[in-house]
Amino acid sequence: MKYAFFPGCVSKGACPELYQSVMQVYPQLGIDLEEMTTASCTGAGVLQEKDEKLGDVLNARTFALAEQQGLPIMTICSTCQGVMSQANHRLTTRPKYLQEINEILQEEGLHYRGGTTIKHFLWILLEDVGEDALRKEITKPLTGLRAAPFYGCYIQRPTEALDFEKYPGRGKSLERIIEILGAEVVDFPGKTRCCGFPILTINKINSLSMVATHTQDAKSHGADIMVTPCPLCHLNLDGMQAQAASQHNTSINLPILHLPQLLGLAMGMDPKTLGLKRNLISPESALAKMNISL
Amino acid sequence: MTSPPTYDVLVVGAGLAGMRAALSAHQQGASVAILTKVHPVRSHSNAAQGGINAALTDRGDKWEDHAFETVKGSDYLADQNAVEVLAQEAGQDIISLEHMGVIFNRNEEGRLGTRRFGGQKRARTFFVSDFTGQAMLHVLYEQIMQAKLPVYEEWFVTSLVKDENGHCAGLVAFEIRNGTFSLFRAKTIIMASGGLGRVYEPSTNALICTGDGMALAYRAGAPLMDMEMVQYHPTTLKGKGLLITEAARGEGAYLLNKHGERFMEQYAPTMLELASRDVVARAEQTEINEGRGINHCVLLDCRHLGRTFLQERLGQIYAEAKTFANIDLAEEPLPIRPGMHYQMGGIKTDTEGRCWDTEGNWAGLPGLFAAGETACVSLHGGNRLGANSLLDTIVFGRRAGQCAAEYGRTIPSPSIPEHRINEDQHLITSLLAREGPGERAAAIRLAMGTTMNRSVSVFREQEGLETAQQRIQELKARWPAITIQDKGQVFNTGIIAALELSFMLDCAEAIIAGALTRTESRGAHFRTDYLDRDDEDWLKHILLYHQTENEPRIDFLPIHITQWQPQIRVY
Amino acid sequence: MQTTLRIRRYNPENSQPATYFESYELEVDPSDSVLDGLIKIRETLDDSLTLRCSCRGAICGSCGMRINGHAALACKTKVVSVAPEGEPIEVEPMNNMPVIKDLVTDMAPFWEKIRQIRPWLKPSDPPPVAEYTAPPETMSHLAGVMSCIMCGACVSDCPVLEVDKKFVGPAALAKAYRFVADPRDTSALDRLESLNQPDGMWDCTRCMECIQVCPKGVGPMDRILALRSKGMAEKMPATCGSRHAEVFTDIIKHKGTLDEPMLAIRTFGLKHVGRLLDMVPMVIQSILKGKVPLSGPLHRPISSIQHIQRLFKRVRTKS
Repeated sequence: MKYAFFPGCVSKGACPELYQSVMQVYPQLGIDLEEMTTASCTGAGVLQEKDEKLGDVLNARTFALAEQQGLPIMTICSTCQGVMSQANHRLTTRPKYLQEINEILQEEGLHYRGGTTIKHFLWILLEDVGEDALRKEITKPLTGLRAAPFYGCYIQRPTEALDFEKYPGRGKSLERIIEILGAEVVDFPGKTRCCGFPILTINKINSLSMVATHTQDAKSHGADIMVTPCPLCHLNLDGMQAQAASQHNTSINLPILHLPQLLGLAMGMDPKTLGLKRNLISPESALAKMNISL
Repeated sequence: MTSPPTYDVLVVGAGLAGMRAALSAHQQGASVAILTKVHPVRSHSNAAQGGINAALTDRGDKWEDHAFETVKGSDYLADQNAVEVLAQEAGQDIISLEHMGVIFNRNEEGRLGTRRFGGQKRARTFFVSDFTGQAMLHVLYEQIMQAKLPVYEEWFVTSLVKDENGHCAGLVAFEIRNGTFSLFRAKTIIMASGGLGRVYEPSTNALICTGDGMALAYRAGAPLMDMEMVQYHPTTLKGKGLLITEAARGEGAYLLNKHGERFMEQYAPTMLELASRDVVARAEQTEINEGRGINHCVLLDCRHLGRTFLQERLGQIYAEAKTFANIDLAEEPLPIRPGMHYQMGGIKTDTEGRCWDTEGNWAGLPGLFAAGETACVSLHGGNRLGANSLLDTIVFGRRAGQCAAEYGRTIPSPSIPEHRINEDQHLITSLLAREGPGERAAAIRLAMGTTMNRSVSVFREQEGLETAQQRIQELKARWPAITIQDKGQVFNTGIIAALELSFMLDCAEAIIAGALTRTESRGAHFRTDYLDRDDEDWLKHILLYHQTENEPRIDFLPIHITQWQPQIRVY
Repeated sequence: MQTTLRIRRYNPENSQPATYFESYELEVDPSDSVLDGLIKIRETLDDSLTLRCSCRGAICGSCGMRINGHAALACKTKVVSVAPEGEPIEVEPMNNMPVIKDLVTDMAPFWEKIRQIRPWLKPSDPPPVAEYTAPPETMSHLAGVMSCIMCGACVSDCPVLEVDKKFVGPAALAKAYRFVADPRDTSALDRLESLNQPDGMWDCTRCMECIQVCPKGVGPMDRILALRSKGMAEKMPATCGSRHAEVFTDIIKHKGTLDEPMLAIRTFGLKHVGRLLDMVPMVIQSILKGKVPLSGPLHRPISSIQHIQRLFKRVRTKS
């Protein structure tokens, strides 16, 4: 299984531990990655506010590059996944629009035919690697660990752009992975809700209220850790958790792990190589619960 | 609560007719309030899909053509002076609506666009995709919000109140949210409470269409007219009877029987699928009865219109067919059948919306006005043309509001004592006090609905009507035994269901009385025992006056003819 | 088929605990909707079960409620689609609104927000004798947003409203768009200015719940983004939200990838330097933990940046 790897901006920027942990885990899963070093940022939905068509052109370029290589794209960020899926949905359902976009791309010698697939690492684990092959790599099942899933909006909605009809398992994919890794799924109301990151600069109080609500909810339902496939969610849930707690006059201390970090632990890897020392809310005591020392 | 203020004009019902009337009265300087049992945008006007008719002279159209087609469509039972008003004023009212903000479809020049509709040779139906009613209703509510008119939202009217001179002076209503009763005083009341579809089962109508206003006016002494004229719409879905707009046929869809034949060629060789609704409904029912249907349905074929066209011009029904019938209109024909849809009859009014005759030719209730489906002017006579109902609500809603405001200036403030709410309050208390197990309102309603759909539908005859009459009497006798499990005051929908049922039973009785009386076939009233239209004896309306413990008193009113003598009606 | 409806009850006249769940088992037709089930309960088992419903055909907007945790119209939700194996279906009143009784919510706060955006056309005065002319595509474009039936589903599931009742909300914003996009309305700039304020169009967190739950395909969030676009195009006074979008776009234009520190610095600028300083503790902690960009503190542009810049130019010139 070979993929054109699109790491996104944040996994090499403010969340380097995400890139680091993906690099650790993927070789053992029978996956081959070719990083797309010339692809641009997806726009993250923010550039699309300024100019949706511009965003579609940039993403169509990325899709065309992957199509040239004949490879599907792998993402490791819910936001990258969602923004690309929505762009691809527009491009593949509006032939006239695709034509317009291609007229712009043609000067760069590119042409998007509409055939590129974009899949998040989370989905690849279940749909391409497969449960059986995955289980073979789990040498240290996370028994006793209670993990709360937090998906990130862009990998849950809108279901039409994310192909949920063709792949009905996607809605519960993160919970499935947690189970396969041997941990216990902590179900709580906020698992598919918003972390607040997009409005951090606009309305910090509301943004942090969302962080506080979901982390506290997960904790009160018994979670030892929370796991998320989106580094933007991670930035808010982990990076801003301390401020969220103090805004609400409480203490939370719920470690937030990136998906590959959790996977790597279950594959018996050294937590330091998974960048777990970089998470701002330390996962030390949660790991100690499973006799893993950080 | 403290007594509500006395209003010049109190409008009951916040659908298109009610809100148009309220705006009109307000513009005349009257103090106006609206009282409604659901939030205005929940009114059933929002279910009208296809469009609204108007003959615009700057398009080379003639109001006389629209008027004639309406009269012919009515099978010559409509009052032609009223139809002339409808046709003459339609154009200006469409423009007013557009000025208010309705997003009517446009042609290439940016002017208002039209589509074809049933019973009319020319395209004069203005529309918003296939949700015209909703598009208009929401805009009228925007105007109500802008004018800051008081709306008593989720209040249920239990009776009209007359003063000692027999003049309509107010009403008794309770606030659904907490069960508290109030006496409303008003110089004039405009009844705009819609139709009575739930008297039938199934029906295209919403669950709230229970004939409240018709029954209230009827019990207070206003006559009901032409009640036997109940329209069965040709294209309704099997099961719950949801509406599929006539606009589908207007845009070119065909009706097919099980052999794939366009059977309308046999029944209406010129207008085919766009003949008047009663003609099409009877054609379909005949095909079904004679074994050329499929599962008691015929087929609406839209395939040749193409998916893109369907999604743009008929997007709402395209989605509706998928959701509620599992059919992709671009791929398969849709099974449909005639279903109860509209009441041409209602509370008798003149052309100003008054429920009494200023000349004294018929007895009515001074001070009471009515507009919309609740009223019967009569515009639609024995059969309503599609896209004329939306027009009716706007033109005659406006006129009723105007006249009520003017009339209110000529009379003193109403005087009715507070204790008039006691009787209604007592009724609710005793309803709640009954201990079970007794009758369930829903069961009685279902029995009434199926009876009406069986015996008072597309084809009628004496024995069936008499059986239905008896059945309704039996059901009426069971009403006092209804028990309600919910004993609370807050949002008690059990009480509402019981009260609505009582209104519906009165309406059912009136419909059957009219149907038994009219011994001819005209418009939607088709009797297999009196097959022909009888212009010699029956060019007249049937008026029904409520009599407690007795059959209604019957009176007749000649039809008002201006230009068009009755002719043989073929399509 | 058998189905179980597990309904959240509440009766203000009860002395019971505030709300509780009550389960009802019933036989339904495979083609039945959740509303059919609720009506069946009301008509045959328990007439105290209180809900609003009317048209049964997804046009009146009365029957908005939460089904298995997500807002929907009960009349449009088929039992088989939410409970294919006959699992219990959880039914609750819409969220973010006070509950009057059982499944009936108080929609007054909803309508307050609608009124806030001045929901009536302000055409030029005096009106023409005939209709205002308008290009056909402008009216058919509005059909999408005019399809809103004010059911409240989007408001129910909005996460911003969950933490902040002052937010004007997706329904009001979609309605505001309907007027801003109407060529006959003369107050577009005024409207955009009001929406450019706190609790207005920039407070949406772009979570797509409203798009997902809207039963009429209105796409409220898409309308909000269109309002933001229009606001920036009309050069409305800058807000943190608009600056964020402008700066982000500019950074991509020059680097092709996101430079997070630069984004923060330029979004806040001198005007909000306090907000920037607020972030310092977190930045220091990150540096200490080694949570720093892999390529070092100075973000270099991607190697194909000229391609990106040319594309920017082509899109801008085309529009």
